[in-house]
Amino acid sequence: MLNSIAFAQTALLYLGYVLIFPGFLFCFVVGLLLTGIDRKVVARMQRRVGPPVLQPFYDFFKLCGKETIVPDAASRTVFLLAPLVGLASLVVLQLFIPVFKFSVFGSLGEVADLIVILYLLLIPAVAVMLGGASTGSPYAGVGLSREMVTVLAVELPLVLVLLSVARVVGRETGRALVFSLNTIVSFQTVSGSLITRVSMIPAALAMLMIIPGETGSHPFDAAEAETEICEGLLAEYSGAPLAVFKLSHAVKLLTMTSLFVALFLGGLGTPIAQLVAAVGLSGELAAAVTMLLQVLALVLLCIVLTVLTISFVHAVTARLRIEQLFKYYWTVVTALALISLVLAWYGY
Amino acid sequence: MNWLSYQHFPIYAIMVLFLGAFLVVLLGKNRVVRAALALLSVSASLALLVALVPRVMLGGEIIAYWMGGRGMSGGYAMGIALEVDALSLFFALLVAVAVFVACLYSIQYMEHDDNVSQYYTLFLLLAGGVLGLVLSGDLFNMFVMVEILTFAAVALTAFRNTVTGALEAAFKYLVVGSIGSVCILAGTIMLYAQTHTLSLAQLSLLLPGNLNNATKLAFALLFVGFGTKAFLVPFHPLAADAHGAAPAPISVLISGVLTKSGIYGIIRLVYFLFQNMDLGAIRFLLVVVGSLSMFVCVTMALAQHDFKRLLAFHSISQIGYVLTAVGLATTLGVSSGLYHAMNHTIFKGLLFLAAGAVLHETGTTDLNQLGGLAKRMPRTTALFLIGAASISGIPPFNGFASKWLIYQAAYQKAVESGHIGYLLVTIVALVTSTLTLASFIKVSQSVFFGRLPERFEKVKEAPFGMRLAMGVFALLCVATGLLPQAVVKTLTLPAAQAVENVGRYIAAALGTEMPAIRTVTAVEIGVWNPINWLLLLGVSLLSVTLVALLGKYDRVSENEGAVRAGGKYDLFFGGEKSVHSQVGGGDLFWGFKHNWRHYFSFMHDLHSGVVNDYALWAALALALAIVFSQIVL
Repeated sequence: MLNSIAFAQTALLYLGYVLIFPGFLFCFVVGLLLTGIDRKVVARMQRRVGPPVLQPFYDFFKLCGKETIVPDAASRTVFLLAPLVGLASLVVLQLFIPVFKFSVFGSLGEVADLIVILYLLLIPAVAVMLGGASTGSPYAGVGLSREMVTVLAVELPLVLVLLSVARVVGRETGRALVFSLNTIVSFQTVSGSLITRVSMIPAALAMLMIIPGETGSHPFDAAEAETEICEGLLAEYSGAPLAVFKLSHAVKLLTMTSLFVALFLGGLGTPIAQLVAAVGLSGELAAAVTMLLQVLALVLLCIVLTVLTISFVHAVTARLRIEQLFKYYWTVVTALALISLVLAWYGY
Repeated sequence: MNWLSYQHFPIYAIMVLFLGAFLVVLLGKNRVVRAALALLSVSASLALLVALVPRVMLGGEIIAYWMGGRGMSGGYAMGIALEVDALSLFFALLVAVAVFVACLYSIQYMEHDDNVSQYYTLFLLLAGGVLGLVLSGDLFNMFVMVEILTFAAVALTAFRNTVTGALEAAFKYLVVGSIGSVCILAGTIMLYAQTHTLSLAQLSLLLPGNLNNATKLAFALLFVGFGTKAFLVPFHPLAADAHGAAPAPISVLISGVLTKSGIYGIIRLVYFLFQNMDLGAIRFLLVVVGSLSMFVCVTMALAQHDFKRLLAFHSISQIGYVLTAVGLATTLGVSSGLYHAMNHTIFKGLLFLAAGAVLHETGTTDLNQLGGLAKRMPRTTALFLIGAASISGIPPFNGFASKWLIYQAAYQKAVESGHIGYLLVTIVALVTSTLTLASFIKVSQSVFFGRLPERFEKVKEAPFGMRLAMGVFALLCVATGLLPQAVVKTLTLPAAQAVENVGRYIAAALGTEMPAIRTVTAVEIGVWNPINWLLLLGVSLLSVTLVALLGKYDRVSENEGAVRAGGKYDLFFGGEKSVHSQVGGGDLFWGFKHNWRHYFSFMHDLHSGVVNDYALWAALALALAIVFSQIVL
């Protein structure tokens, strides 16, 4: 009897994680907020007034009310299912990224490590590619080609960044290698953020450059290129499925920026905890206040990172051609990540 | 020994296949009889092998079986022997499962061909050959089985000899395959001349630490010989030709089974006969050949525009993963390599069968001509997507589970040995996986999605028997992906343990005292819990779908036939007909290929398609291997 109550409690807790925090509701609100801020900042930099920060929310609900047209040539199931799978897998991925020391899977054991996250990141990309391809639109064909090349381009430096982080944390904890994201973050809460290490600075820079590539924003948006190929893979989408894709895109901003925070700024939660303790709070209240402040800090950091890597870059650059994009990632960004890996390898 | 005792099972498993081969010719006039006979013999073989799992896999027993009651005499192994340890049984199970499913598929797939009874005969000979190879306890029998399977495979490649290129492919295969077989024979002769024995166990006792120039030469010959059977670089062009021409179930056997026999031979060679994996140079050899195969073949695949040729190159690329992992010489490496070998058999089988279904229904496998089949063949598409996700390493399918272990094994080895080469291997493996994904996105776009050409408007779904065979593989893809711990515990770790207990293998055959089992554990550093992930995804997907349905997500507006073409249900495009041309299959990723254009044009020039060149490559590889073995061993 007691067991079943405990089980029900755990189940309810996890349902809460998936649905509210750090799952859907959190992803929905923060993701769209990041998009809104991005649009506003870009507009201000271009001396426009820009849309209100809440515009993405209005857009989302407006799109949901529109007619969804399934083209004659499309295979209906894939066309409608792809957006949902993409969003769901992205939200689950968000659960694996710890908010400073807080991790959903702290007590029950981790589900996925760094390498798994690398591959889970592919699922939303594959979903949008298959969804677009299922329509048979020529624009989607071109968009698919470019999206896949973008994924290929970003993958190599991302792999190098993750491997160097795994090595650095591994050596310092005496375990050769650490792939567990929770361990990486809890290591940083004790020993300071990884970005303070000389060997990790190039990797962090590379990761900053990976964020716009992974989320497909300027100048790495060859795959969408609305002025050229009519948003490519999304050309045939309308109504609610389009809204879901737009939402996935927004959530990906959150995922990538919070992944950066977890990898390189994981130590920033410690001062908050100390502050709360210094004020004199203790017990559950202290934990709750710390948690709340840390979440706020995370959101703030995500906003800063979004403005830094996406809005600023967006406002001052023009779109790269796909082969230039590929070359950029496999030379400049890869070189940066490689420097980190080599430094980490030789023990700096 | 009672004739029903389990010691007889291995030989029975081989016998039923060969027996089936002859019976099919004798009695196979009737369509039903021959299919029943073939299916009966492959399922009997599978059942016999599965019955051995508890003893050999879980109990660690080794079955040494002497034909005709012979055995050791005068300190030498006389007579024909089978020796089944966990490693042999692991490969035998792969063979049996793949053969069973391929046979199931053949029934409807080969319906409209001529001489189907001959097809089944060759099919069963090939199956029996590979099974005999992996269960054999002596080197000469391995050679005999290699000959049987090579010739059966050559004949089957040319089975549809009306297909353009089939005879040419078979001829190429015959030439280079024979070079491989001759290498194995020459290596066997060398070893026999030096040690006066052919028993694998006795050779494993005599050879290590006791090498002369002749046995070193034998090592090179055997390595190249088994390398040809696995189609490792530089023998990869053969596989593409052979797969392109062979019927789909035969492709399943060639890629899922025949290449594994090459890997099996190499494992026996380096871990048992010569036991030289502690030499850095040998690990280097395996890892370099493996990584080269992995990378070269995945890039070759990106340049293909034929469905089956593309799969053929991927097949070698995945074999490269297996060889690399095995070459790491750690328990985790061997275990994950074998895991990947198993997964490769499953998902590549599924993909070849899907390609076969496309060929069966449309009559072509040219990526530039196909398109939009998802609307006509939805079930085949779904099955194909499972296979494609598996090979591209998308969680939670099986390809991911094993690749993920391989990455860990490689990086762990890199850190432990401090050798930067292994780090490079890890990176190559990770990037190759993404290139594989690119390649299968290309196939999805060019075959199943994209625009449906008019000539395929009337295409039908593949028949049930074929879908059933694909379904079995798809189920295995999901199951082995979701339960990695169970697979490792029952199948791959025992096999890896067998690799590290050579002493027991020797003792079992020679009848000396068995050393105690050295149990091994594979240390994993990563965390991946597919079941929990799937649960979370399920909850997540369910809630998204619920919200979506409440929001009338499914109340879509579809054309009921009332709206004429050109209306809102038509695809949007700029108005010019030329816009509506598809990006050709081979050119899809030009953004990538443009940056690698020098590499690709180099590769293009290199692969001339002339068999003389490929024979020359084989000779070159052999020469290099001989020099290498003389220097380092």
